[in-house]
Order: sequence, then structure tokens, then C-alpha cells
Amino acid sequence: MSNEAKLLQKYASEVFAGLVAPLEGMEISAAPAEDPLAAEDVLVRMHRELARALEKSPSERRWVMVIDLRRCIGCHACTVACVAENKLPPGVVYRPVMTEEIGTYPNVTMKFLPRPCMQCEHSPCTEVCPVNATYHNEEEIVVVDYEQCIGCRACMAACPYGARTFDFGYHYAEQLPMFDGAIVGGQTAAGYEHISQEYGQEWERKGRHESPVGNVRKCHFCLHRIKDGILPACTTTCIGRATYFGDANDPDSLVTELINKPNVIRLKEELGTEPRVYYIV
Amino acid sequence: MLKKLAYAVGALALLFGLWGVYIRLFEGEQSANYGSYIGWGLWVAMYLFLAGLAAGAYMLAAFDYLFNVPQFKGTGKTMLWAALVTLPAGLASIGMDLGHMERIWKVYLQPSFTSFLTLMVWGYTLFLILILVSLYFAFTAPDKKAMKVVMWIGFVTAILVAGGVGFLLGGNGARLYWHVGLLPAQFPVFAVASGAALMLLLVGWFMPGLEEKQRHDLLWLLAIISIATSVVKLYFLAADYTQSLYGGATDNLIAVNYVLSGPHAFMFWGVQIVLGLLIPVIVLAQPKLAKNGTIAGLMGVFLLIGYAAARILIVVPGQVAEMMPGQAAAFYGPKLTLDYTPSLMEWSVTSAVLGFALLGILIGMDYLLAYFSRLTARLTEVKK
Repeated sequence: MSNEAKLLQKYASEVFAGLVAPLEGMEISAAPAEDPLAAEDVLVRMHRELARALEKSPSERRWVMVIDLRRCIGCHACTVACVAENKLPPGVVYRPVMTEEIGTYPNVTMKFLPRPCMQCEHSPCTEVCPVNATYHNEEEIVVVDYEQCIGCRACMAACPYGARTFDFGYHYAEQLPMFDGAIVGGQTAAGYEHISQEYGQEWERKGRHESPVGNVRKCHFCLHRIKDGILPACTTTCIGRATYFGDANDPDSLVTELINKPNVIRLKEELGTEPRVYYIV
Repeated sequence: MLKKLAYAVGALALLFGLWGVYIRLFEGEQSANYGSYIGWGLWVAMYLFLAGLAAGAYMLAAFDYLFNVPQFKGTGKTMLWAALVTLPAGLASIGMDLGHMERIWKVYLQPSFTSFLTLMVWGYTLFLILILVSLYFAFTAPDKKAMKVVMWIGFVTAILVAGGVGFLLGGNGARLYWHVGLLPAQFPVFAVASGAALMLLLVGWFMPGLEEKQRHDLLWLLAIISIATSVVKLYFLAADYTQSLYGGATDNLIAVNYVLSGPHAFMFWGVQIVLGLLIPVIVLAQPKLAKNGTIAGLMGVFLLIGYAAARILIVVPGQVAEMMPGQAAAFYGPKLTLDYTPSLMEWSVTSAVLGFALLGILIGMDYLLAYFSRLTARLTEVKK
């Protein structure tokens, strides 16, 4: 008898012991037949490829994201990871996951669509900015210069994907009680959520007027992580391994392999925006 | 009596508005109801309305100084003054909408000329300067060639900036409700229409120094202009909405149905169509009523309210269709919603802006224009 069965028989009630009786003689093991560690996790491969891409000059890279909709289970881990990584305040979201219910009862199913910024090559949002506060950086990622943005929201109106949200200056911790000298409560939590590391610099959201409050904010493919050779937060936290990230100018990269397949689409192609986010369907 | 009432309304509006301006300036934008999905609300609509009003007022001033229409003789200064007041009021409204209004200088010193917004800011600045120069010449040399040249440049600029705000919205290819060629085309018509409505109000209720016959003739002419522009606007509206409904593009259907039968349908049927169009058109079509200053002025007010409502019903419905289906339900948080009704703070700020515009026009008509006339006369004497 296996250890697990012995354990259950020893400690479970008689009724429950009866249920596990058939286990006698069976070999129970936590490990499946094949060792999953034997195959390389795609994250390991993507990290290796990321390091390779960072050896090139920024203009030679072409960062793309690929999302396999067949593997997305709608867990929203990417959304939450993004919020945590970038310390996004209430009302600001970079990567929501749209949920669509298909069919009528009892033949129903759910479809999920994670939507980061599409990092369009022909981005309508950058064109309409009156002060060049949002632009393509040297790696062609669409970024926002918080100190330059006047908060006109023209880019929000122009984005065909609704990928931009406005920072109205809310804080998750603002309603929490304060406990002087304690490590819990409003002050501590507020301190944590105030400072984000976006664009490689610290952003303290202290008041209701200091940037990035009063600015439009958006996904930037976690540039601050990429710089240090770490994949975007949404990619590493995807439990279904549905999100892939890498350099599409590298012919041997996973993302190049994926976007060259025929079952790949981009959203709203008819608008001519040339998104850098691809979906496997 | 009407003037006293107007002063009182203007003062009360400004007083109520100061509360909203204080909240906006010192506490930020949290108490506004626009958000991340409907990012442009009442203040943007009021900017379109007031900037259009300024362009329209300038165009009607040209009827006096450029086209020498006899009925408009002697009204040019007042209309230029109205343009000078309503344009800054409109710019104040859009200024309050900016997350960082203290950085507006960047549009002048660090501009991006691929942005139509930049062109509009520069265009309005040029227009403001042209209004000032026109007003200066109106006092000093109304019959000289320089005045005509400036007025022509100003007239063309007024058409361009009026059409430009249509492009500002229509240029967004992803917003089907806005992205129609008709939008920039109809805004100069809106401008003339709102300018005529403002003039109906000013001539009907306030404007001093007009003989009775000229006042009657002018009111009748303004009534005809108002009826004509209202009919053209109604045709634009019908063409736009029927085409959208027939074409059946999802985003367009959502927007048009929002206007026709959405939560603010009363704003369309009650305010824009009945109060702002049908009643004025029917009343102004009667020569006897149209020539009555009190009634004509009241119709001017109705028309202006209708045009303001029309601007709101252009700005907001263009944003009610989700850019991505399921977007509004995908993540919860403040201001991540497709519902929009202006908050009390937003109404308060708009009240300040409108109160400022009303008082500015009245004070100008009653005191400043006369003062400037006396001043220029004295300066001319000193020169001699």
C-alpha cells in the first residue's frame, strides 16, 4: 500500500476510509508519468532570447507580444500583475481581459481577450498629442512623458483599442485608517502604492496635481523590466503560458516562430495601425 | 428690466460657478463625471459651443464691416466684442478640462504639428489676435482698407477654426459617430447659426442705439438666417442619423440610439429639437413675432440652448460605444464607465464660464464700448 493510502486509512473516519479502500494495491504518486521539468518552459526560452535581444542596439529590436487566445483561461493574473508591477491606482488599467460569453444556455462558453497597448507602428494616439508627450521611443514602444503631458485626453479619444486611461489621483489606501507607529494601515499601504518605477524612474503620486496624476497612462511593455532582462509582468505571471514576448527581428525567437503562422491575427487591422500585439486564434 | 434680469442671472451664474472653479483648481478632477472611457464631457462641449459662438459673432460682424449689409450697420463693434468675450470663455472651458492646465505653454513652445489640437490652439490664438486688431480698427479706422483686410483674414480664419473643431473630433478614425466628412463641414454652419441666435438676443433685448425700423429689419433678417440655418442643420442631422441607422455599423448604431432613445434622449427631443429648433423656427417664421424684440430675444435664448445641447450630443455619444467589446466590464474602478451625466461641479464650472460670458458681453455693451469710443475720440483730438 502506498504511503498516502496508509495515511488516509490511519487518520480518516471509517466512512472515509471505506471510500479510499479501493486505493489499496494502487500506486499513488504525485508526479505524473512525464517529468514536466524535462521540457523547457517557454519563459526560460523567452528570457534567454530577451538577453540575446538586449545585446543589439535598441533600434534593431522589434518588441512584439503574442497572445494565444486558445490558452487564455481568463484568470486575470496578468491584469493583477500589471497593476501590482506598475502600482496602478484605482481607475487606471493597462491590461484588462475582456470576457465574452458565447452561445445560449446550455451551450455556452467563454472567450477571453487580454488587451495590452497594441504599440501600433502607425499609432493614432501619438499623432494627436499636441506636445509630443506620447511618442515612439528608440525601441518603437509608445511611451508617455508624464512631465510633458498636458492631460488633454486627445490620445484617449484617438486610440482605437481603448488602451489608455486617465489618472484622476485616486489611491486604494486613501480610505484606510491610520495607525501611528504601526506597520499596517493607511500610511504604510499608501507609501507602498505611491511609488511606481515606470520608465525607470520613481513616480511619487503624492497630491492630486503631481504627475502622473492628471496624465493619461498606458501599457509600455514593462520597459523598466525589459531593460534589466526581465520579461513583462503579464508574461511571467500568465499561468496558462498564453502570453509571449520577444524580439520579432530575431529569426530564431519564439515570437517570430509564432507570428509567422497562419492562425495569427491583429485587432482592427482595417484601421491601418499595424499593431505589435498578435493573437493566436 | 430684461437687462437687470440678465445682469442678475450672469452674476448668480458666476457666483455659483466660483465654487466649481475652486474645487477644480484645488481638488483636481475627481468630482467631475467624465472618465477614462468618456473622456470628453460637458466642458469640451461648451468649448465647441462658445468657440463656435465667437466664430459666428465674428462672421456676423463682417456683415457690417465687410459686406455692408444695411440692416447690420452699427452692430459690428458689439459682435466683435461678443467674439472677444466668448472665445476666451470657450478656451477657459477647455482649459479646465486639462489635467495639467499649467503646461498649456508647451503647446506654443514645444508643439507637435502632426496634432490637430496644436493647430487649433494656434488657430484660436491667431483668431483672438485678429478679433483684437479688428476691434481696434473698428474704433480707429472702420472705413480704411486695413480694416477690410483684417476682417477678410478674420472671416476666413473664423470659418477655418469653426470647421477645425469638427475635424478635431472627426479626425479620430476609430470613432465612427464622429468620423464623417459632414462633421467639419457643418460646424461653420453651426457657427453662423449660433452667432445669429446670439445677435437675436442682443438686438432683441439689449443693443442700444438702433432705430426702431433698423431693429425690426435686423431682427427679421436674423430670423430668416436662423430659420435657414436651422433647416440646414436639421437636414445634416437627418442625413447623418438615417445614414447611420441604415448603414448599421455597430458603433454608429450605439451612438445614434443613445441620442434618440438613450438615458439623455430628452436632451435631444426636448431641448435640441423642440425647444432649440421647432419652437424658434415656428415663432420666428411669423414676421410680427420676429420683429418683437422681447420675443426675438427669447427665441435667441432658446436657439442658443438648443445649439449647446447639440454640441453635447455630438461630443458624448461619440464615446459611448466601447472601443473593445466588454471593455467597461473587464476592470472595475472609478471612472471606468460608459455612463455620463455631468456632475454638479462640472455644471458649476460651466455656469462660471457662461456667467462670465454673459456679464462680459453686457458690461462691454453698456460701458466698455462707449468708453473706448470716447477714448479713441479723445486720442484723435489730441493727435490733431
